[in-house]
Amino acid sequence: MLDARARARFIRNRSAVAGTVIVAALVLFALLGPLVARHGPLESDFVHGIAADGMPAGPSADFPLGADRIFRDVFARVTLAGRVSLLIAVSATLIASAIGAVVGVIAGYYEGARLRVPWPAFLATVGAIAAMAAGHPTLALVVLATGVAVSLARRFGGPRLDVDGLLMRAVDVMLAFPFLLLVMAIGAALDHTSEVTIFVVLGVTGWTGVARVLRAKTMQVRSLDYVTASRALGQPAGQVMLKHVLPSVIGPLIVSATVQVAQMIVADSVLSYLGMGITPPTPTWGRMLFEGQDYYLVAPWVVAAPAAVIVLAVWGFNMLGEGLRDALDPQQT
Amino acid sequence: MRSIPSRRDVLAPALALAAIALLTAPLGCSKTLASPFESVLGDAATPQRGGTLHLATIADLRSTLDPATGTDLAISPIHHMFAGLVDYDEQAHVVPDLADHWDVADDGTTYRFVLRVGVTMHDGAELTADDVKRSAERALHPSTPDPNASSFAGIVGYDAYSAGKAEHLAGVAVEGRYVVAFHLDKPDATFPFLLAMHTLRPTCRSAGDRYSDAWLPCGAGPFMLPAGGWQRGTSLRLVRHEGYFRPGLPYLDAVEWTFNMQQVVQRVRFERGELDLLRELTDADAGRFMTDPRWKPFGLVGPDTTIYGESMNTRMPPFDNIEIRRAVAAAVDREHQRLLMPSRMSVLTQALPKTLVDDPSFEGQRYDYPAALEHMRKAGYPYDPVTGTGGWPAPIEYLAYDPGFDVMTAQLLQQDLARIGLRLRLKLVSYGAFLTLQEREGSSAMSEGNWMLDYPDASSIFEPLFTSGAIAPEGRFNTAFYSNPRFDERVARAHTEVDATVRRALYREANAILCDEAPWAFTLGKHDFIVHQPYLHGFRPHPVWPLDVSGVWLDRATDRALGGGLP
Repeated sequence: MLDARARARFIRNRSAVAGTVIVAALVLFALLGPLVARHGPLESDFVHGIAADGMPAGPSADFPLGADRIFRDVFARVTLAGRVSLLIAVSATLIASAIGAVVGVIAGYYEGARLRVPWPAFLATVGAIAAMAAGHPTLALVVLATGVAVSLARRFGGPRLDVDGLLMRAVDVMLAFPFLLLVMAIGAALDHTSEVTIFVVLGVTGWTGVARVLRAKTMQVRSLDYVTASRALGQPAGQVMLKHVLPSVIGPLIVSATVQVAQMIVADSVLSYLGMGITPPTPTWGRMLFEGQDYYLVAPWVVAAPAAVIVLAVWGFNMLGEGLRDALDPQQT
Repeated sequence: MRSIPSRRDVLAPALALAAIALLTAPLGCSKTLASPFESVLGDAATPQRGGTLHLATIADLRSTLDPATGTDLAISPIHHMFAGLVDYDEQAHVVPDLADHWDVADDGTTYRFVLRVGVTMHDGAELTADDVKRSAERALHPSTPDPNASSFAGIVGYDAYSAGKAEHLAGVAVEGRYVVAFHLDKPDATFPFLLAMHTLRPTCRSAGDRYSDAWLPCGAGPFMLPAGGWQRGTSLRLVRHEGYFRPGLPYLDAVEWTFNMQQVVQRVRFERGELDLLRELTDADAGRFMTDPRWKPFGLVGPDTTIYGESMNTRMPPFDNIEIRRAVAAAVDREHQRLLMPSRMSVLTQALPKTLVDDPSFEGQRYDYPAALEHMRKAGYPYDPVTGTGGWPAPIEYLAYDPGFDVMTAQLLQQDLARIGLRLRLKLVSYGAFLTLQEREGSSAMSEGNWMLDYPDASSIFEPLFTSGAIAPEGRFNTAFYSNPRFDERVARAHTEVDATVRRALYREANAILCDEAPWAFTLGKHDFIVHQPYLHGFRPHPVWPLDVSGVWLDRATDRALGGGLP
């Protein structure tokens, strides 16, 4: 991904190196922390976790980051929450990047052209939208997959559509809703929330920015000589996009994804803070902030640890992403 | 090549450090409360007249200020504006108020009240028996949206009157200018408690014979509502009723509530001397006031008025098995739950709060881990705590609302029950959904139960929560769907029993049945923790009313506008 010159630029960028170190430290913290914690993250300790005045115990050798309001080890919880929060943020980013890449590359590739869409795919898309509106997402996926599969199996006629226009209007509609509001609405509609539901919800609602970036990049790439040559030689559009366009836009995609991990961490924290995240007692950084907010004056460690790791994680991923951008595309700097 | 730091490179660390600094700043500087504002005369001095008492609340006054329809936050202002025939004293006994005295006749079916002579209402008119009857008919008329009307269904003629088939309520009889009688269909020992509540409190003639919102609330209480005194969504100001029938009272010129004020803001304004009394403290703040030696003398703990427990649906597995319910009741470490909110919670081992317990030797439910394991064995689901094997095979869904205290207690309960082989899985919903699901049969195996006493009598707990008649349709409160004819029979007999000794014995039996059969694992009793400024005198937490300031007086040393507490 990074050639020698890009690697050199990245290593010279102190901010990028700092971001890498922070992210690596957080990942290690999340992976190893639960192994070295002296208490279980879900276990209250009414002997050592409680101070003489009845408040949660402060930081000590036994409780390195103090105890929370139900007298559990904040260190053990913040490390376990790190696993949960990082898993959610990375998974959600992968989903968002995948959707955003597909939409962005297709939209950019067909910008200014009208594409004949096979009837099965067209009807399946309309049906899938109707099924989603009726609250049957599984049915929508089945209908869409069937329509695409049938369209690929043999040639069909169909309407000529401005695919780029349609996809970008869909992006506009998504962007018209504030991201967190949209996520909260979907989260509230779910009967039970788990890690999987949270990252799926964040992923399927967070791809629009990636799509826009990759559309712009694809529009640049598609007019390059080697892409034009491939098209002139009669290579199918799918292969051109996969073999020639996608490798050229992978850099911006990685940069965008790295920065988006930070946004997903914030989104997950906000959801948890608002009570729409993972169900207790599983800890998340946002939920730990929420549970400790009344105690920030008398037992500040209850909120300081999750607040600090949220700030560090967001800061680290942002610096890493910007460092990658600077290394891969120094002209933008 | 050295990279040139971009603006974001500089800004991001700065923001991060600022965030960390902001969050950790309280470590060093803000933990100490401000000093109290001093009193000039002290508690022992003769009460002084004058001054305005400043209060605040996080909520808004959404109901009316009419005794017939007011609920929730309105109860406190209504209590101060409308006096009743009877009221509760500080021991929660029913005592005469507008009535000079009363007697019970006809084997408990007639309550006859003789009014005080010369009681002046806010409009200057004298209170008579006609006002009592008119106010009762107004409150119980079918056109009045009175949420408590059915509580008075025992009054003779109520059914016909509430159905609109009778012009007057036959069971309320004026027997003289100052004598009024309430005739009941059958003896009802709870009637004095009901009458002491606010629903039937006499209103001025301007209230009319029928309920209407377009009315300036007017009664015979110690404070009255001046025109424009209620700024909806903002504040409520009541001023002294100069004609109040108790000589010299109230001492205050006025009482003023500010609405929609967050708890932290209330605390800050209290520390600045802008509020005189603080009731809605966060638990962390309550702990600070309780432990600060300067404030400790001015913190008051009220009696328990709310009970908490773990409600187990007796019609759903595994809690249709009585031994599992008994195991839960023995496995809950109540002291641990109390430690989550020590300023407001006490351990509860039976269905009745301490104020209603008349047999201190009764043990009720208690934490007993070996006994809990034994109950699991008897239930057919033995659990081995050493190997962690056995117990109930499937997770049990526990319904809770977020944000709520129950999410905290539920996480402790999860730990307690895991030790006997019951695995709880929390399901968090909104408060509205929680109420709906909890009361719908088959929706929730287990949830937090809590109940605030309507009036200080065992019937206020047993009848709505545990009798067969309180089971579905939705909107009833028997969330355990508990039904036991033996229990029902004792509660029904106690309801009509006028002999206090026999009645207490029946309730003791009912209480013992509940503790044994455990539709709830009773866990905590909740009380108020109230802190006031040293210059506020004559205040005691009341066992029934959220606030009673009719005997409060102020002697503040510094002018409020000047601010500043003692060093």
